[in-house]
Amino acid sequence: MMSTVILKSGHRDGHTLGDEINHRHHKIGHKHGEGSSIDAYAYSSKIRDWNPAFKVSLSLLTLILCIVLNNPYVSVAVIIAMAYLTIIVGGLSIQAYLSILTIPIFFILLGTFTIGIDFSTQPIGQYHLYLGLFYVFTSQAKLKMMVFLMVKVFAAISAMEMMTLSTPSSEIISVIQRAHVPKLIIELTNLIYRYIFILFDVNIKMRNSADSRLGFCDVKTSWKTFGNIASNMLIVSFKKADAYYNAMEARCYDGDLIFLEEVKKVKPIQIAKAAVFIIFLILLWGFTR
Amino acid sequence: MEEPILKIRDLYYDYGNGTTALNGVSVDIYEGEKIAVIGSNGAGKSTFFLTTNGVLKPDQGEISYRGTIINKKNLKELRKNIGIVFQEADNQIIASTVMAEVGFGPMNLKLPKKEVLKRVEEALTYMNILDYKDRPPHYLSGGEKKRVSIADIIAMKSEIIIFDEPTAGLDPLNAQMLEEVLDKLGSEGKTMLISTHDVDFVYRWAERAIVFWQGKIIADGTPLEIFQNKEVLKQANLKRPTIIEVYDLLVEKHLLEDTKAYPISIQALREMLGNM
Repeated sequence: MMSTVILKSGHRDGHTLGDEINHRHHKIGHKHGEGSSIDAYAYSSKIRDWNPAFKVSLSLLTLILCIVLNNPYVSVAVIIAMAYLTIIVGGLSIQAYLSILTIPIFFILLGTFTIGIDFSTQPIGQYHLYLGLFYVFTSQAKLKMMVFLMVKVFAAISAMEMMTLSTPSSEIISVIQRAHVPKLIIELTNLIYRYIFILFDVNIKMRNSADSRLGFCDVKTSWKTFGNIASNMLIVSFKKADAYYNAMEARCYDGDLIFLEEVKKVKPIQIAKAAVFIIFLILLWGFTR
Repeated sequence: MEEPILKIRDLYYDYGNGTTALNGVSVDIYEGEKIAVIGSNGAGKSTFFLTTNGVLKPDQGEISYRGTIINKKNLKELRKNIGIVFQEADNQIIASTVMAEVGFGPMNLKLPKKEVLKRVEEALTYMNILDYKDRPPHYLSGGEKKRVSIADIIAMKSEIIIFDEPTAGLDPLNAQMLEEVLDKLGSEGKTMLISTHDVDFVYRWAERAIVFWQGKIIADGTPLEIFQNKEVLKQANLKRPTIIEVYDLLVEKHLLEDTKAYPISIQALREMLGNM
């Protein structure tokens, strides 16, 4: 989860798009530097008020079914259902959804392409193409396998995206907390999640101020500036950690990081719909096996 | 004289790098007082606040809260009753939603969840930020974060609230909002200590001012007394509030009779001039 958030921060297009959406519809997502679009989308999702444990388990169950059933029809059904949940029910724009999916799609294509084709010095295989030194060959069965795999991975990813695009990280953390993940990991995740945005801000400020003093005028200077900023950030982090600890102690922190969370009830109708969906997937698999 | 709510005797604190942050500080704080703590940067105000709350342990000296001397065992009692609103909200806000953030203090007090929820709701309503309940702090503006950091302390229902340079970095509108909150808290009889560099604010708001200089308290009295004490002003590098300057100027130019009745606000000065 965290890695996706960080990954996304470099993805400028998605971010500006997210900000626009937020400003238009939900009025959250102030200019916070290069924060993350996924995080902003999650907060503005219309299905955010669903019980997080329900969303997490639904997406995990769907993911597992995608892999276990290994059936292209099931995968396509999942892709459609998850897009429906995220876009129509959740209210995310199609452009934003597609822009978020471009990165995984890119990786899926790269990964599955090598499964579909093979190389040889002899003209073998159902279809082959001579490339001067060697042949690239493939067969209908292989292509079919490649497409099925692509659809399967894509379905699995869209199930996970449904969760990340509708459940803020703090809620996902509280779900894994209830799954009895060690407290240390939970507390670290919580702090990292809060702190990463502050570090982003600090980094942007330092970079801007370095930039305004020609700190990035050529390659050599840029590397030097980068190093200086990195070491400076470490020092600032230590100082901030001190200040943070003081503030926590001032509010009676005594070693246990406990946060208040609101319990969002699962509606029976949601469980019923989810059950119908899961049964439908299994039946679909049964009929198309 | 009534018993002081907080009694501080001979506090010494050394940061360990040769700089003495507190050099024998003694002060009594009474219930319901509105105290401004003034002094230049590095005069020891923040250290004083942190020791008062028990975050920093003084090298020497003692603190007693309502007659009980604070030791390791009842430290929590002190922290519970003295809340600090830190200068930088980003150094204070820890949770990833506003609700969890404001609930952090009450949760640490091990209150039942129902009570915590009630307090959070009250504090957010008090600061007029109930709508931001589910938002993560990184999507809030500076002024909004400040409100959250104040709500943090209100939810703890501390008897004494310390504000460390609360107006630093706030725009005029947010500064005004802050002053309104301070007035509201004052009218509810909360004891407040505020460190600030804004002498006009000190003169306008405080009932008592404490001047820090190089880890010591060099003056303690009403703002008017302090701003008339030339020695203290010079030593601590303080400016006089504009309104006092204006009054003295008017007296000097014989436009006003010198009654030593310094006006507290622009409004009061206007009335004074109107009576001429």
